[in-house]
Amino acid sequence: MAHNIPTDLKYTKDHEWTKIDGNIVTIGITDFAQSSLGDIVFVELPEIGKNLKAHETFGVVESIKSVSDLFSPVSGSVVEINNDLPASPELCNAEPYSGAWMIKIKLSDSSELNSLLSANDYENFLSSL
Amino acid sequence: MTIQKTSLHNEHLILKAKMAPFAGFDMPLQYTSVKEEVQAVRTSAGIFDVSHMGEFLVEGMDAVAFVDFLITNDFTNAQDRKAVYSPLCRDNGTVIDDLIAYKLGHQRVLICVNASNIKKDWDWMSSHLSGFNCTLKNLSDDYSLLALQGPKAESLLRELGLLEIKEFPYYSIMETSFQNEAIIIARTGYTGEDGFEIFSGHHFAQKLWRDLISLGAKPCGLAARDVLRLEVCYPLYGHELSDDVTPLDSGLSWTVKLNKALFIGKQALLDYLPKFQLIKLSLDKGIPREGYEVLDSNARVIGKVTSGTMSVVTGKGIAMALVSKEKNPTDKKYFINIRNTNYEAQLHTKAFINGGHK
Repeated sequence: MAHNIPTDLKYTKDHEWTKIDGNIVTIGITDFAQSSLGDIVFVELPEIGKNLKAHETFGVVESIKSVSDLFSPVSGSVVEINNDLPASPELCNAEPYSGAWMIKIKLSDSSELNSLLSANDYENFLSSL
Repeated sequence: MTIQKTSLHNEHLILKAKMAPFAGFDMPLQYTSVKEEVQAVRTSAGIFDVSHMGEFLVEGMDAVAFVDFLITNDFTNAQDRKAVYSPLCRDNGTVIDDLIAYKLGHQRVLICVNASNIKKDWDWMSSHLSGFNCTLKNLSDDYSLLALQGPKAESLLRELGLLEIKEFPYYSIMETSFQNEAIIIARTGYTGEDGFEIFSGHHFAQKLWRDLISLGAKPCGLAARDVLRLEVCYPLYGHELSDDVTPLDSGLSWTVKLNKALFIGKQALLDYLPKFQLIKLSLDKGIPREGYEVLDSNARVIGKVTSGTMSVVTGKGIAMALVSKEKNPTDKKYFINIRNTNYEAQLHTKAFINGGHK
Protein backbone atom coordinates (compact mmCIF):
# COMPACT_ATOMS: atom_id res chain seq x y z
CA MET A 1 0.00 0.00 0.00
CA ALA A 2 1.31 3.45 -0.86
CA HIS A 3 1.66 5.76 2.10
CA ASN A 4 1.49 9.50 2.13
CA ILE A 5 4.97 10.99 2.64
CA PRO A 6 4.91 14.80 2.26
CA THR A 7 8.12 16.06 0.67
CA ASP A 8 8.41 19.18 2.84
CA LEU A 9 9.00 17.13 6.00
CA LYS A 10 11.95 15.15 7.38
CA TYR A 11 11.60 11.66 8.84
CA THR A 12 13.08 9.13 11.26
CA LYS A 13 13.36 5.35 11.16
CA ASP A 14 10.98 5.35 14.16
CA HIS A 15 8.26 6.47 11.71
CA GLU A 16 8.03 10.01 12.98
CA TRP A 17 7.96 13.18 10.93
CA THR A 18 9.51 16.53 11.75
CA LYS A 19 8.81 19.97 10.40
CA ILE A 20 11.67 22.39 10.86
CA ASP A 21 10.90 26.06 11.28
CA GLY A 22 14.03 27.95 12.38
CA ASN A 23 14.95 26.42 15.73
CA ILE A 24 11.47 24.98 16.38
CA VAL A 25 10.87 21.36 15.38
CA THR A 26 7.30 20.01 15.20
CA ILE A 27 6.99 16.23 15.63
CA GLY A 28 4.32 13.68 14.81
CA ILE A 29 3.93 10.11 13.56
CA THR A 30 3.80 9.16 9.89
CA ASP A 31 0.94 7.85 7.82
CA PHE A 32 2.72 4.48 7.74
CA ALA A 33 2.89 4.47 11.56
CA GLN A 34 -0.79 5.26 12.06
CA SER A 35 -1.91 2.71 9.49
CA SER A 36 0.32 -0.01 11.00
CA LEU A 37 -0.99 0.69 14.50
CA GLY A 38 -4.66 0.76 13.53
CA ASP A 39 -7.20 2.65 15.63
CA ILE A 40 -5.23 4.89 17.98
CA VAL A 41 -7.10 5.21 21.26
CA PHE A 42 -4.65 6.88 23.63
CA VAL A 43 -1.88 9.48 23.42
CA GLU A 44 0.35 10.57 26.28
CA LEU A 45 2.50 13.68 25.79
CA PRO A 46 5.16 15.32 28.00
CA GLU A 47 4.80 18.51 30.00
CA ILE A 48 5.81 21.81 28.47
CA GLY A 49 9.35 22.69 29.54
CA LYS A 50 10.60 19.11 29.63
CA ASN A 51 14.14 18.74 28.35
CA LEU A 52 14.64 15.86 25.96
CA LYS A 53 17.74 14.26 24.54
CA ALA A 54 17.75 12.90 21.02
CA HIS A 55 16.22 9.37 20.93
CA GLU A 56 14.71 9.79 24.41
CA THR A 57 11.10 8.66 24.92
CA PHE A 58 8.74 11.64 25.10
CA GLY A 59 5.38 9.91 25.20
CA VAL A 60 3.33 6.95 23.99
CA VAL A 61 0.65 6.16 21.46
CA GLU A 62 -1.59 3.20 22.09
CA SER A 63 -3.80 1.33 19.70
CA ILE A 64 -6.36 -1.13 20.99
CA LYS A 65 -3.76 -3.90 20.82
CA SER A 66 -0.43 -2.21 21.41
CA VAL A 67 1.66 0.39 23.21
CA SER A 68 4.34 2.26 21.24
CA ASP A 69 6.90 4.71 22.59
CA LEU A 70 7.42 8.06 20.91
CA PHE A 71 11.06 9.09 20.53
CA SER A 72 12.35 12.61 20.30
CA PRO A 73 14.37 12.87 17.07
CA VAL A 74 16.37 15.82 18.43
CA SER A 75 17.54 17.30 21.71
CA GLY A 76 15.83 20.36 23.14
CA SER A 77 13.01 21.55 25.34
CA VAL A 78 9.31 21.05 24.78
CA VAL A 79 7.74 24.45 24.05
CA GLU A 80 4.26 23.38 22.98
CA ILE A 81 2.11 20.24 23.04
CA ASN A 82 -1.03 19.44 21.08
CA ASN A 83 -3.74 19.59 23.74
CA ASP A 84 -6.36 18.20 21.35
CA LEU A 85 -4.69 14.81 21.09
CA PRO A 86 -5.31 13.27 24.52
CA ALA A 87 -9.05 13.94 24.08
CA SER A 88 -9.12 13.04 20.37
CA PRO A 89 -6.46 10.39 19.76
CA GLU A 90 -8.29 9.31 16.58
CA LEU A 91 -6.83 12.44 14.95
CA CYS A 92 -3.60 10.42 14.65
CA ASN A 93 -5.38 8.15 12.18
CA ALA A 94 -7.30 10.87 10.37
CA GLU A 95 -4.71 13.63 10.09
CA PRO A 96 -1.26 12.31 10.96
CA TYR A 97 0.56 15.25 9.33
CA SER A 98 -1.70 18.12 10.38
CA GLY A 99 -4.23 17.91 13.24
CA ALA A 100 -2.20 15.20 14.99
CA TRP A 101 1.11 17.03 15.38
CA MET A 102 2.32 16.06 18.85
CA ILE A 103 4.94 18.38 20.28
CA LYS A 104 7.14 21.32 19.35
CA ILE A 105 10.71 21.29 20.53
CA LYS A 106 13.12 24.20 20.75
CA LEU A 107 16.23 22.71 19.25
CA SER A 108 19.45 22.76 21.27
CA ASP A 109 21.80 21.25 18.69
CA SER A 110 21.00 21.98 15.06
CA SER A 111 23.64 19.51 13.83
CA GLU A 112 21.24 16.70 14.85
CA LEU A 113 19.01 17.71 11.94
CA ASN A 114 21.57 16.17 9.58
CA SER A 115 20.62 12.67 10.68
CA LEU A 116 16.96 13.06 9.62
CA LEU A 117 15.74 11.36 6.47
CA SER A 118 14.35 13.13 3.41
CA ALA A 119 10.95 12.00 2.10
CA ASN A 120 12.78 10.04 -0.56
CA ASP A 121 15.08 8.34 1.97
CA TYR A 122 12.10 7.46 4.17
CA GLU A 123 10.22 5.99 1.24
CA ASN A 124 13.24 3.85 0.41
CA PHE A 125 13.47 2.82 4.05
CA LEU A 126 9.79 1.75 4.05
CA SER A 127 10.23 -0.34 0.93
CA SER A 128 13.21 -2.08 2.55
CA LEU A 129 11.05 -3.28 5.49
CA MET B 1 6.78 -26.16 13.02
CA THR B 2 5.26 -24.81 9.84
CA ILE B 3 2.46 -22.35 10.28
CA GLN B 4 -1.02 -23.71 9.54
CA LYS B 5 -3.72 -22.07 7.47
CA THR B 6 -7.45 -22.37 7.90
CA SER B 7 -9.68 -23.13 4.91
CA LEU B 8 -10.57 -19.43 4.84
CA HIS B 9 -7.00 -18.18 4.67
CA ASN B 10 -7.34 -17.05 1.09
CA GLU B 11 -10.58 -15.19 1.91
CA HIS B 12 -8.67 -13.21 4.55
CA LEU B 13 -5.96 -12.31 2.06
CA ILE B 14 -8.57 -11.20 -0.50
CA LEU B 15 -10.10 -8.94 2.18
CA LYS B 16 -6.58 -7.59 2.91
CA ALA B 17 -6.74 -8.57 6.57
CA LYS B 18 -3.79 -7.82 8.78
CA MET B 19 -2.52 -11.34 9.49
CA ALA B 20 -0.58 -12.60 12.49
CA PRO B 21 0.47 -15.97 13.86
CA PHE B 22 -1.80 -17.27 16.62
CA ALA B 23 -1.61 -20.74 18.18
CA GLY B 24 0.33 -22.02 15.18
CA PHE B 25 -2.11 -20.61 12.61
CA ASP B 26 -1.79 -17.58 10.36
CA MET B 27 -4.93 -15.76 11.49
CA PRO B 28 -6.67 -12.45 10.68
CA LEU B 29 -6.03 -9.87 13.40
CA GLN B 30 -8.21 -7.19 11.83
CA TYR B 31 -9.78 -6.33 8.49
CA THR B 32 -10.76 -2.68 8.51
CA SER B 33 -10.66 -1.35 12.05
CA VAL B 34 -10.96 -3.03 15.45
CA LYS B 35 -13.41 -0.36 16.58
CA GLU B 36 -15.69 -0.86 13.59
CA GLU B 37 -15.54 -4.63 13.99
CA VAL B 38 -16.46 -4.49 17.69
CA GLN B 39 -19.30 -2.07 16.95
CA ALA B 40 -20.62 -4.35 14.20
CA VAL B 41 -20.90 -7.25 16.65
CA ARG B 42 -22.54 -5.13 19.36
CA THR B 43 -25.08 -3.51 17.04
CA SER B 44 -25.47 -5.72 13.96
CA ALA B 45 -23.54 -8.88 13.03
CA GLY B 46 -19.92 -9.87 12.67
CA ILE B 47 -18.39 -13.06 11.33
CA PHE B 48 -15.20 -14.67 12.63
CA ASP B 49 -13.08 -17.49 11.25
CA VAL B 50 -12.33 -19.56 14.35
CA SER B 51 -11.38 -22.71 12.47
CA HIS B 52 -8.12 -22.85 14.40
CA MET B 53 -10.06 -24.12 17.41
CA GLY B 54 -10.04 -27.85 18.13
CA GLU B 55 -12.95 -30.29 17.94
CA PHE B 56 -13.09 -33.70 19.58
CA LEU B 57 -15.94 -36.16 19.20
CA VAL B 58 -16.78 -38.65 21.96
CA GLU B 59 -19.10 -41.49 20.95
CA GLY B 60 -20.45 -44.54 22.73
CA MET B 61 -22.40 -45.78 25.75
CA ASP B 62 -20.19 -43.92 28.23
CA ALA B 63 -19.66 -40.74 26.21
CA VAL B 64 -21.52 -38.54 28.69
CA ALA B 65 -20.00 -40.25 31.76
CA PHE B 66 -16.51 -39.85 30.29
CA VAL B 67 -16.95 -36.12 29.64
CA ASP B 68 -18.52 -35.66 33.07
CA PHE B 69 -15.48 -37.34 34.63
CA LEU B 70 -13.10 -35.05 32.69
CA ILE B 71 -14.71 -31.68 33.40
CA THR B 72 -15.57 -29.83 36.59
CA ASN B 73 -19.01 -28.63 35.50
CA ASP B 74 -22.07 -30.89 35.52
CA PHE B 75 -22.53 -32.63 32.19
CA THR B 76 -24.57 -35.65 33.28
CA ASN B 77 -27.67 -33.61 34.03
CA ALA B 78 -27.43 -31.37 30.99
CA GLN B 79 -30.28 -31.99 28.57
CA ASP B 80 -29.67 -33.36 25.11
CA ARG B 81 -28.67 -30.66 22.63
CA LYS B 82 -27.34 -28.39 25.37
CA ALA B 83 -23.89 -26.83 25.62
CA VAL B 84 -21.89 -26.72 28.85
CA TYR B 85 -18.92 -24.46 29.47
CA SER B 86 -16.28 -25.94 31.77
CA PRO B 87 -12.68 -25.95 32.85
CA LEU B 88 -10.70 -29.15 32.29
CA CYS B 89 -8.50 -29.75 35.33
CA ARG B 90 -5.63 -31.94 36.48
CA ASP B 91 -5.81 -34.08 39.61
CA ASN B 92 -4.31 -31.16 41.54
CA GLY B 93 -7.06 -28.84 40.32
CA THR B 94 -4.97 -26.69 37.99
CA VAL B 95 -6.50 -25.77 34.64
CA ILE B 96 -5.45 -27.64 31.48
CA ASP B 97 -7.92 -25.74 29.30
CA ASP B 98 -11.42 -24.35 29.22
CA LEU B 99 -13.87 -25.80 26.74
CA ILE B 100 -17.46 -26.15 25.63
CA ALA B 101 -18.97 -29.66 25.64
CA TYR B 102 -22.00 -30.06 23.40
CA LYS B 103 -24.41 -32.91 24.13
CA LEU B 104 -25.39 -33.92 20.60
CA GLY B 105 -27.14 -36.97 22.05
CA HIS B 106 -26.81 -39.23 25.06
CA GLN B 107 -24.06 -41.17 23.27
CA ARG B 108 -22.44 -38.34 21.28
CA VAL B 109 -20.53 -35.36 22.61
CA LEU B 110 -18.70 -32.68 20.66
CA ILE B 111 -15.99 -30.85 22.58
CA CYS B 112 -14.58 -27.54 21.36
CA VAL B 113 -11.17 -26.61 22.80
CA ASN B 114 -8.66 -23.79 22.46
CA ALA B 115 -6.36 -24.02 19.45
CA SER B 116 -3.23 -23.58 21.55
CA ASN B 117 -4.19 -26.54 23.74
CA ILE B 118 -5.34 -29.13 21.19
CA LYS B 119 -2.39 -31.46 21.71
CA LYS B 120 -2.30 -31.02 25.49
CA ASP B 121 -6.04 -31.71 25.77
CA TRP B 122 -5.88 -34.65 23.39
CA ASP B 123 -3.04 -36.29 25.32
CA TRP B 124 -4.85 -35.72 28.61
CA MET B 125 -8.25 -36.95 27.48
CA SER B 126 -7.01 -39.98 25.58
CA SER B 127 -4.90 -41.07 28.57
CA HIS B 128 -8.08 -41.24 30.71
CA LEU B 129 -10.21 -43.16 28.24
CA SER B 130 -9.56 -46.65 29.58
CA GLY B 131 -12.49 -48.08 31.50
CA PHE B 132 -15.01 -46.01 29.55
CA ASN B 133 -17.01 -47.60 26.78
CA CYS B 134 -16.58 -44.84 24.21
CA THR B 135 -14.25 -43.59 21.50
CA LEU B 136 -12.51 -40.24 21.22
CA LYS B 137 -11.72 -38.72 17.84
CA ASN B 138 -9.79 -35.58 17.03
CA LEU B 139 -11.73 -33.87 14.22
CA SER B 140 -9.85 -30.57 14.44
CA ASP B 141 -8.51 -30.86 10.89
CA ASP B 142 -11.87 -31.94 9.46
CA TYR B 143 -13.97 -29.04 10.66
CA SER B 144 -14.00 -25.39 9.76
CA LEU B 145 -15.67 -23.19 12.36
CA LEU B 146 -17.38 -19.88 11.71
CA ALA B 147 -18.78 -17.68 14.48
CA LEU B 148 -21.61 -15.37 13.50
CA GLN B 149 -22.20 -12.98 16.38
CA GLY B 150 -24.44 -10.02 17.07
CA PRO B 151 -28.08 -9.00 17.45
CA LYS B 152 -28.72 -9.57 13.74
CA ALA B 153 -27.05 -13.01 13.64
CA GLU B 154 -30.33 -14.92 13.93
CA SER B 155 -32.07 -13.01 11.14
CA LEU B 156 -29.07 -13.52 8.83
CA LEU B 157 -29.07 -17.27 9.42
CA ARG B 158 -32.81 -17.41 8.82
CA GLU B 159 -32.46 -15.35 5.64
CA LEU B 160 -29.93 -17.88 4.41
CA GLY B 161 -32.29 -20.74 5.23
CA LEU B 162 -29.89 -22.27 7.70
CA LEU B 163 -32.11 -21.90 10.74
CA GLU B 164 -35.57 -23.29 10.21
CA ILE B 165 -36.65 -24.39 13.68
CA LYS B 166 -38.47 -21.86 15.79
CA GLU B 167 -37.07 -22.58 19.22
CA PHE B 168 -33.32 -22.62 19.45
CA PRO B 169 -32.27 -21.30 22.86
CA TYR B 170 -28.91 -19.82 23.81
CA TYR B 171 -26.30 -22.50 24.65
CA SER B 172 -27.96 -25.23 22.65
CA ILE B 173 -26.85 -27.15 19.57
CA MET B 174 -28.34 -28.97 16.60
CA GLU B 175 -27.14 -31.24 13.86
CA THR B 176 -28.71 -30.47 10.55
CA SER B 177 -28.03 -30.70 6.87
CA PHE B 178 -28.06 -27.87 4.42
CA GLN B 179 -27.55 -28.31 0.68
CA ASN B 180 -26.51 -31.92 1.34
CA GLU B 181 -23.84 -30.87 3.84
CA ALA B 182 -23.98 -32.22 7.39
CA ILE B 183 -23.38 -29.26 9.70
CA ILE B 184 -23.59 -28.54 13.40
CA ILE B 185 -24.98 -25.22 14.58
CA ALA B 186 -24.48 -24.09 18.17
CA ARG B 187 -25.96 -20.99 19.71
CA THR B 188 -22.76 -20.08 21.51
CA GLY B 189 -19.96 -17.59 21.16
CA TYR B 190 -17.27 -15.55 22.82
CA THR B 191 -18.62 -12.03 22.51
CA GLY B 192 -21.49 -11.78 25.00
CA GLU B 193 -23.91 -11.19 22.13
CA ASP B 194 -26.44 -13.56 20.70
CA GLY B 195 -24.82 -15.63 18.00
CA PHE B 196 -23.98 -18.94 16.45
CA GLU B 197 -20.98 -21.14 15.88
CA ILE B 198 -21.21 -23.29 12.77
CA PHE B 199 -19.10 -26.43 12.41
CA SER B 200 -18.87 -27.69 8.83
CA GLY B 201 -16.60 -29.07 6.13
CA HIS B 202 -14.07 -26.68 4.63
CA HIS B 203 -15.66 -26.10 1.26
CA PHE B 204 -19.05 -25.35 2.81
CA ALA B 205 -17.43 -22.90 5.24
CA GLN B 206 -15.90 -20.94 2.37
CA LYS B 207 -19.29 -20.57 0.73
CA LEU B 208 -21.02 -19.72 4.02
CA TRP B 209 -18.38 -17.09 4.76
CA ARG B 210 -19.04 -15.34 1.44
CA ASP B 211 -22.81 -15.69 1.70
CA LEU B 212 -22.96 -14.22 5.19
CA ILE B 213 -20.73 -11.32 4.19
CA SER B 214 -22.90 -10.58 1.18
CA LEU B 215 -25.91 -10.47 3.50
CA GLY B 216 -24.16 -7.85 5.62
CA ALA B 217 -22.11 -9.68 8.25
CA LYS B 218 -18.88 -7.79 8.85
CA PRO B 219 -15.65 -9.84 8.86
CA CYS B 220 -14.04 -9.50 12.28
CA GLY B 221 -10.56 -10.47 13.41
CA LEU B 222 -8.98 -11.81 16.57
CA ALA B 223 -8.24 -8.30 17.89
CA ALA B 224 -11.96 -7.45 17.94
CA ARG B 225 -12.70 -10.87 19.44
CA ASP B 226 -10.35 -10.12 22.33
CA VAL B 227 -11.97 -6.74 23.06
CA LEU B 228 -15.45 -8.26 22.83
CA ARG B 229 -14.71 -11.06 25.28
CA LEU B 230 -12.95 -8.71 27.69
CA GLU B 231 -15.84 -6.21 27.71
CA VAL B 232 -18.09 -9.01 28.97
CA CYS B 233 -15.32 -10.49 31.21
CA TYR B 234 -14.98 -13.92 29.61
CA PRO B 235 -11.68 -15.51 30.66
CA LEU B 236 -9.04 -16.46 28.11
CA TYR B 237 -6.73 -19.42 28.58
CA GLY B 238 -3.14 -18.23 29.00
CA HIS B 239 -4.36 -15.08 30.72
CA GLU B 240 -6.99 -15.52 33.44
CA LEU B 241 -6.63 -19.30 33.27
CA SER B 242 -3.39 -21.24 33.12
CA ASP B 243 -1.51 -24.29 34.29
CA ASP B 244 -0.70 -22.37 37.49
CA VAL B 245 -4.20 -21.60 38.78
CA THR B 246 -7.37 -23.49 39.62
CA PRO B 247 -10.86 -22.43 38.48
CA LEU B 248 -11.48 -21.30 42.09
CA ASP B 249 -8.73 -18.68 41.70
CA SER B 250 -10.13 -17.30 38.46
CA GLY B 251 -13.74 -16.51 39.20
CA LEU B 252 -15.01 -19.83 37.84
CA SER B 253 -16.30 -21.46 41.03
CA TRP B 254 -19.74 -21.52 39.35
CA THR B 255 -18.31 -24.08 36.92
CA VAL B 256 -16.96 -26.39 39.64
CA LYS B 257 -19.69 -28.73 40.86
CA LEU B 258 -18.16 -30.23 43.98
CA ASN B 259 -21.40 -32.12 44.74
CA LYS B 260 -21.37 -34.16 41.56
CA ALA B 261 -19.91 -37.68 41.20
CA LEU B 262 -16.18 -38.27 41.00
CA PHE B 263 -14.34 -36.11 38.51
CA ILE B 264 -10.68 -35.33 37.91
CA GLY B 265 -9.52 -32.71 40.38
CA LYS B 266 -12.50 -33.11 42.74
CA GLN B 267 -10.54 -33.98 45.87
CA ALA B 268 -7.93 -31.28 45.32
CA LEU B 269 -10.60 -28.66 44.67
CA LEU B 270 -12.60 -29.73 47.75
CA ASP B 271 -9.53 -29.10 49.90
CA TYR B 272 -8.29 -26.02 48.05
CA LEU B 273 -8.07 -22.56 49.57
CA PRO B 274 -7.85 -20.09 46.66
CA LYS B 275 -4.61 -18.11 46.42
CA PHE B 276 -5.96 -15.53 44.00
CA GLN B 277 -9.08 -13.59 43.24
CA LEU B 278 -10.00 -12.40 39.75
CA ILE B 279 -11.12 -8.77 39.80
CA LYS B 280 -12.45 -6.39 37.16
CA LEU B 281 -11.01 -2.89 36.99
CA SER B 282 -11.50 0.14 34.79
CA LEU B 283 -9.56 3.39 34.40
CA ASP B 284 -10.76 6.80 33.31
CA LYS B 285 -7.32 7.65 31.96
CA GLY B 286 -4.83 5.20 30.53
CA ILE B 287 -5.07 1.66 29.26
CA PRO B 288 -4.21 -1.26 31.52
CA ARG B 289 -2.18 -3.97 29.78
CA GLU B 290 -1.34 -7.56 30.57
CA GLY B 291 1.46 -7.75 33.13
CA TYR B 292 0.93 -4.28 34.66
CA GLU B 293 1.12 -4.34 38.46
CA VAL B 294 -1.96 -3.89 40.64
CA LEU B 295 -1.37 -2.13 43.96
CA ASP B 296 -3.29 -1.26 47.11
CA SER B 297 -3.57 2.22 48.67
CA ASN B 298 -0.24 1.67 50.43
CA ALA B 299 1.42 1.14 47.03
CA ARG B 300 2.02 -2.50 47.86
CA VAL B 301 1.94 -4.79 44.82
CA ILE B 302 -0.95 -7.22 45.25
CA GLY B 303 -1.32 -8.71 41.79
CA LYS B 304 -1.12 -8.33 38.05
CA VAL B 305 -3.35 -7.46 35.12
CA THR B 306 -4.08 -10.65 33.16
CA SER B 307 -5.88 -8.95 30.23
CA GLY B 308 -6.33 -5.28 29.45
CA THR B 309 -7.51 -3.12 26.61
CA MET B 310 -9.51 -0.05 25.69
CA SER B 311 -13.23 -0.81 25.70
CA VAL B 312 -14.73 0.25 22.40
CA VAL B 313 -18.18 0.56 23.98
CA THR B 314 -17.30 2.49 27.16
CA GLY B 315 -14.17 4.26 25.88
CA LYS B 316 -12.38 3.37 29.12
CA GLY B 317 -9.37 1.24 29.89
CA ILE B 318 -10.62 -2.11 31.18
CA ALA B 319 -8.84 -5.03 32.78
CA MET B 320 -9.15 -8.30 34.54
CA ALA B 321 -6.49 -8.91 37.17
CA LEU B 322 -5.46 -11.72 39.47
CA VAL B 323 -4.74 -10.38 42.95
CA SER B 324 -3.49 -12.22 45.97
CA LYS B 325 -6.39 -13.34 48.13
CA GLU B 326 -4.31 -12.71 51.22
CA LYS B 327 -3.31 -9.18 50.22
CA ASN B 328 -6.68 -8.19 48.76
CA PRO B 329 -7.43 -4.85 50.49
CA THR B 330 -10.53 -4.44 52.64
CA ASP B 331 -10.97 -0.83 51.48
CA LYS B 332 -11.44 -2.16 47.90
CA LYS B 333 -9.11 0.53 46.53
CA TYR B 334 -6.98 -0.62 43.63
CA PHE B 335 -4.30 1.12 41.59
CA ILE B 336 -2.67 0.12 38.33
CA ASN B 337 0.92 1.05 37.60
CA ILE B 338 1.36 2.43 34.10
CA ARG B 339 4.85 3.63 33.18
CA ASN B 340 5.77 4.28 36.82
CA THR B 341 2.61 6.14 37.77
CA ASN B 342 -0.11 4.55 39.90
CA TYR B 343 -3.60 5.30 38.62
CA GLU B 344 -6.61 4.64 40.83
CA ALA B 345 -8.89 2.10 39.21
CA GLN B 346 -12.59 1.53 39.62
CA LEU B 347 -13.65 -1.89 40.86
CA HIS B 348 -16.51 -3.55 39.00
CA THR B 349 -18.58 -6.36 40.45
CA LYS B 350 -20.27 -7.07 37.09
CA ALA B 351 -18.93 -7.21 33.54
CA PHE B 352 -18.07 -3.86 31.94
CA ILE B 353 -21.06 -4.14 29.64
CA ASN B 354 -24.06 -6.40 29.36
CA GLY B 355 -23.94 -8.51 26.26
CA GLY B 356 -27.20 -8.93 24.39
CA HIS B 357 -27.41 -12.73 24.45
CA LYS B 358 -30.65 -14.26 25.60
